[in-house]
Amino acid sequence: MRVGDYEVPEGLYYTREHEWAKVLEDGTVLTGITDYAQKKLHEIVNIELPEVGVEVSQMQPFASVDSVKATSEIYAPVSGEVVEANEALLNQPELLNQDPYGQGWIARIKPASPEKLQEELKALMTAEQYAKYIEELEGS
Amino acid sequence: MSQAALRRTPLHGFHVKRARMTEFAGFEMPLWYEGIIPEHMAVREAAGIFDVSHMGRFLVEGPGAEAFLNYVLTNDVSALEPMSSHYSLLCNERGGILDDIFVLRLAEERFLLVPNAATREKDLAWLLRHSKGHDVRIKDISDQSALVAVQGPRALEVLNALSSVDLSGVPRYGLVETEIASVPVLASRTGYTGEDGFELYIWDASPEKPERALSVWGAILRAGEPVGLKPCGLGARDTLRLEAGYPLYGSDMDEHTTPLEARLAFAVKMDKGPFIGREALEAQMAEGVKRLRVGLRLVERGVPRAGMPVLDPDGREIGRITSGTFSPLLRCGIAMAYVPPELAEPGTELLVGLRGRRARAVVVKFPFYDKTKYGWKRTTQAGGGP
Repeated sequence: MRVGDYEVPEGLYYTREHEWAKVLEDGTVLTGITDYAQKKLHEIVNIELPEVGVEVSQMQPFASVDSVKATSEIYAPVSGEVVEANEALLNQPELLNQDPYGQGWIARIKPASPEKLQEELKALMTAEQYAKYIEELEGS
Repeated sequence: MSQAALRRTPLHGFHVKRARMTEFAGFEMPLWYEGIIPEHMAVREAAGIFDVSHMGRFLVEGPGAEAFLNYVLTNDVSALEPMSSHYSLLCNERGGILDDIFVLRLAEERFLLVPNAATREKDLAWLLRHSKGHDVRIKDISDQSALVAVQGPRALEVLNALSSVDLSGVPRYGLVETEIASVPVLASRTGYTGEDGFELYIWDASPEKPERALSVWGAILRAGEPVGLKPCGLGARDTLRLEAGYPLYGSDMDEHTTPLEARLAFAVKMDKGPFIGREALEAQMAEGVKRLRVGLRLVERGVPRAGMPVLDPDGREIGRITSGTFSPLLRCGIAMAYVPPELAEPGTELLVGLRGRRARAVVVKFPFYDKTKYGWKRTTQAGGGP
């Protein structure tokens, strides 16, 4: 769906800090930043990726992106082990602006168990809830 | 923060329609219109126009004006011819920098001071307090005027198409009275980008009476757009000044920094009479400084930011970044930092503690860019090449 200028794909889970999480068929979770986040950050020129193998906890900072103006923390939408980081972003950080839900993905996380993942997903927003959330942010 | 509480410049009406806005020093100002990178590059390669009306403007007049300014400021105003300007510093008794100020000599007994927006009230109180016994009048005219900067290698050509007076003969730091779009302005050949250009003082302009400022702004935009002039926000202003090596008050210097540490000794004249801070600065000159402001260029990926530690090659913390960014021109991280004098030599290899890793950096001379290709001293034609 679309809220104003912002794309909010259905089927993903969203954080209040504007990350998205997509549960893949193998049970791992692909993560990135939302269209709203990339438009607010504007001109992303650098990313600091998490190391593969590192354990992250839900809503703890695990990466950061630099716009020209500032550095912003990226929070892990779910807990688990980072099994893959998108190294293409190191040379092409602009992919975060151009394709935030596609080529601009940041990392893939392997949750400790499907049960733990299901529990954590309850703390995240659906597309509908996130759409309403950014509508409120824009309105204020 | 409540937007209603923020101050506005006379050009606010233009900005809100076109720019991403930000709060700066109590003002609601444009951060960028199109983006920091394209605006930055427009200034290096063609021209840009900035609203800098948030800066302060004080008139200092009277038979005692020269002696007074020579007592409160570090540079020597007696060396200034009428209709010329220079950079100066306001220091406290300890030699700490209260502000950096541009001083424009309009006439023998008439000066215009341009302090920073955030320090305007503090500076005015300081000047008034120290003016006792001097035959001067000090008047804050910031709210009755606008200030617009037109910067870049094509700024002169754009302005000359609109100016009633030929501006090409105005030297760097020189001033001239002219009309732009039939509005009288004071034009000074100065700026904060490193490039050639002018700063235009537009009198009798306020948020309630924006017509004159809007006329000048609109005429320059229309005349400049065919050669690539863009409206530029504070985002590009900051990246441009950083590349040029100009310190920002409140970030790269404050009351706990002296002009010698900040490498601004060129604006301190010891061969004039007494001035506030003189003894402390003389003592520091004799003793030597313990830290110096340097430029750091990252030689690997990463963006340095204010507050990050600077480390020697053995990993010992030796200083802190005071401002840093991604350089749109050089396409790498650049920063200003204070380090001990023995590590301040250009070519010295240091480390910057980024979040989670260390990046290699090298001390470089200001400006960060190649002076033969960019900046007002450039020797090659802008927009040249195939």
